[in-house]
Amino acid sequence: MLNLNNIEVAYDNVQVLFDVSFDVKAGEIMCLLGRNGAGKTTALKSIMGLLPLKSGSIQCEDNTLSTLSAYEIPKQGIAYVPQGRGLFSELTVAQNIEIGLMVKGSNPAVREHVLDMFPRLRERLKQRAETLSGGEQQMLAMARALSMEPKLLLLDEPTEGLQPSIIALIKDVIVKLKNEGVAVLLVEHHIDTVLSIADRVAFIENGRCPEISDIANLQNNQAKIRGYLGIS
Amino acid sequence: MEFGPHLFLATLEGAIGAAVLALMAVGLSIVFGIMRVVNVAHGEFYMLGAVIAWWITSLIGGHPAYGFLAALIVAPLIVGLIAALADHLVLRRINYDPERTIVATIGLLYVLQQLTLMTFGADARPVEAPFNKRLALPWFENGADGLAMYWPWGLSTTTYKLAVIVAAIVVLVALWLLMTKTRAGLIMRATQLNRDMALAHGIPVEKVYALVFGLGAAIAALAAVLVVPIQQAHYLMGGDPLLLSFIVVIIGGLGSIPGTIVAAILIGMSDGIISVFFSPTLAKILATLLVAFVLIFRPQGLFGKRIS
Ligand SMILES: Nc1ncnc2c1ncn2[C@@H]1O[C@H](COP(=O)(O)OP(=O)(O)OP(=O)(O)O)[C@@H](O)[C@H]1O
Ligand SMILES: [Mg+2]
Repeated sequence: MLNLNNIEVAYDNVQVLFDVSFDVKAGEIMCLLGRNGAGKTTALKSIMGLLPLKSGSIQCEDNTLSTLSAYEIPKQGIAYVPQGRGLFSELTVAQNIEIGLMVKGSNPAVREHVLDMFPRLRERLKQRAETLSGGEQQMLAMARALSMEPKLLLLDEPTEGLQPSIIALIKDVIVKLKNEGVAVLLVEHHIDTVLSIADRVAFIENGRCPEISDIANLQNNQAKIRGYLGIS
Repeated sequence: MEFGPHLFLATLEGAIGAAVLALMAVGLSIVFGIMRVVNVAHGEFYMLGAVIAWWITSLIGGHPAYGFLAALIVAPLIVGLIAALADHLVLRRINYDPERTIVATIGLLYVLQQLTLMTFGADARPVEAPFNKRLALPWFENGADGLAMYWPWGLSTTTYKLAVIVAAIVVLVALWLLMTKTRAGLIMRATQLNRDMALAHGIPVEKVYALVFGLGAAIAALAAVLVVPIQQAHYLMGGDPLLLSFIVVIIGGLGSIPGTIVAAILIGMSDGIISVFFSPTLAKILATLLVAFVLIFRPQGLFGKRIS
């Protein structure tokens, strides 16, 4: 469904990604795993067209994303929940969701479906996004992305800084999406979360992707994950 | 004239200035708010509006209202298109970099000014008002036998001047409705709040920028069309309104529309009143001093939010 082919990305003159290749298959949860500063967020931004590629290409089904303008990429069925949530802070919950809905032409049924997934948002439709709690903000970021009815969802550390019950809720939603056939590319630091929901893991180290592994091969080899995450 | 009626007259003149200034400054403010571009050429869009209004009215004969109405519609459209083109050819190419856009719009200022000089010449050009009935105004005084009404000599205004105030209010309300109640407004605000996430939601940010830059310029042009029956069109007329708009936008808080309107009323009214009783130069000096104090004590402006 999504293929990154030997991409190289730099900020101004500092190169951050070197010859990175991995893919995400339809209906799977692919996890990007690596230390802080390894280049995971950079990879997601590149997929969304927010950073230019120095070389390489990004393919989604039959389209070459890397030749499209950034604003055309969501129309290919790709939604993005960035690290730090990236909400439209001064807009209300309802308006944030409305902007997600616009991508596919504002279908009220989709809106209801998304709000059913996150009932706490339904109670707060008129509230400004910046006044939500951290957990509610993450739910809104997910809800806004799901309003686009994506085929592929990019999630950058969706459980960062949240309490266990909300992490559980977000995990449930991710698994539910997978079961509905949505492909998920997930950046995640919690080993337990990775082991419990991911299908495959692409390790990112110093801007390279040295290894892709099926989750089955990692269940009994957590030391490898710890090694890539830099925790002993 | 006695002091009371004289002050009333000055206030009325100030209100006309404030209304036009509010339009000008709001145009500058939305461009800065949404695009983070400090548009130094904003005064030239105003000037172009006035000159084009003269050009259109001089083409159309008959009752002056026909020409004026045509100018009211066509001048903002032409100026908006010129601005959108400038956005496309200049600002987009330098990637909306905050510092380079300042230099670029200074360049644009001189290009527009000199092109106008070359095509329309250096003469001041009048435009006839569509209607212009003189209205004597009453004054009330508490005399020996209670409250009395009389008509002081010289205390008057015109229907056109009052219409300018009304028109400015209508445009400002329309703009507020556009920004807060429509889908286009939602898209503009989303672009303002988070450019990358706007892109990630399929918003064509560059088209939004071209539109906003055009809209800001069109509002300036509209302000000029309203003014030009009171003040003649001239290729150098953009300077003072640009200075005052910057003062207003800094005092009101860059990018804040309500703050901009309040500051425009404050600056426009005091500019009018001080100009009548003392001198226009003193009015500008005081306004500039006020900006200095605001920058020292409240750099985010009276109504702006502190950017963390
Ligand atoms: N805008 C930028 N300008 C310059 N360098 C940047 C920029 N953004 C990120 N970098 C650098 O690129 C490298 C990779 O950053 P990135 O955000 O992709 O890491 P990450 O894997 O997502 O880390 P984390 O787990 O901390 O989120 C880092 O060294 C970072 O300093
Ligand atoms: Mg990151």
